[in-house]
Amino acid sequence: MAGELEGSKALSGLLSGLAQEAFHGHQGITEELLRSQLYPEVSLEEFRPFLAKMRGILKSIASADMDFNQLEAFLTAQTKKQGGITSDQAAVISKFWKSHKTKIRESLMNQSRWDSGLRGLSWRVDGKSQSRHSPQIHTPVAIMELEIGKSGQESEFLCLEFDEVKVNQLLKKLSEVEESINTLMQPA
Amino acid sequence: MAVSSDSCRSLKYPYVAVLLKVADHSGQVKNKSFEMTIPQFQVCDFTHSVVVHCSNFYRQFKEIAAVIETV
Repeated sequence: MAGELEGSKALSGLLSGLAQEAFHGHQGITEELLRSQLYPEVSLEEFRPFLAKMRGILKSIASADMDFNQLEAFLTAQTKKQGGITSDQAAVISKFWKSHKTKIRESLMNQSRWDSGLRGLSWRVDGKSQSRHSPQIHTPVAIMELEIGKSGQESEFLCLEFDEVKVNQLLKKLSEVEESINTLMQPA
Repeated sequence: MAVSSDSCRSLKYPYVAVLLKVADHSGQVKNKSFEMTIPQFQVCDFTHSVVVHCSNFYRQFKEIAAVIETV
């Protein structure tokens, strides 16, 4: 029976299913579905603790956002534990994390973003030439359309107008932000 | 920087938060806020939508400033 739980192709599929359910928000991936698709020869009683163990390992790796050194150390420790994993299983998990790490991390970041995000930006500069209230004006104006939206929701479009003074004021603020980013992102 | 969350203890996610005070024609002021990742703020982000869109905030603003000067 234990032999059936060691197949690497099945484990790879299992990790994909677990990631879909735990990180990418895919509904409907039940333990019975995973068992019947990937480990049909294994009973549910035997499959359940195996699934829990793999889910726990994957969640630990993702939560700590492990780099490859940490991953290696972690998986080696798991192979040495009582009731841990085999070195073949460790190899499959390692390969899985290496190829899915970026996508899983992105999903985890999105789960923690509760404010709207910037989805798109378009702009145009107009030269106003005349208006009803002023005989002659020649003030250029920047019109910007921002597309913002929360995860899973429809976009909201904001249309903003800036004259030259406002553009330069905002540009100054943005350059302060840029400087701040560069300082914060310095390697420790 | 978003440091940690319930789903990811090691989030380490820097972002730029923007709060806009927008006045409409009637003079009513509304607050609008949103977040940007660092690449969205600095460089082109082509992965974000089906239509390829340059949503890099800071770079676009620099271009606007350059253009508005010449009009």
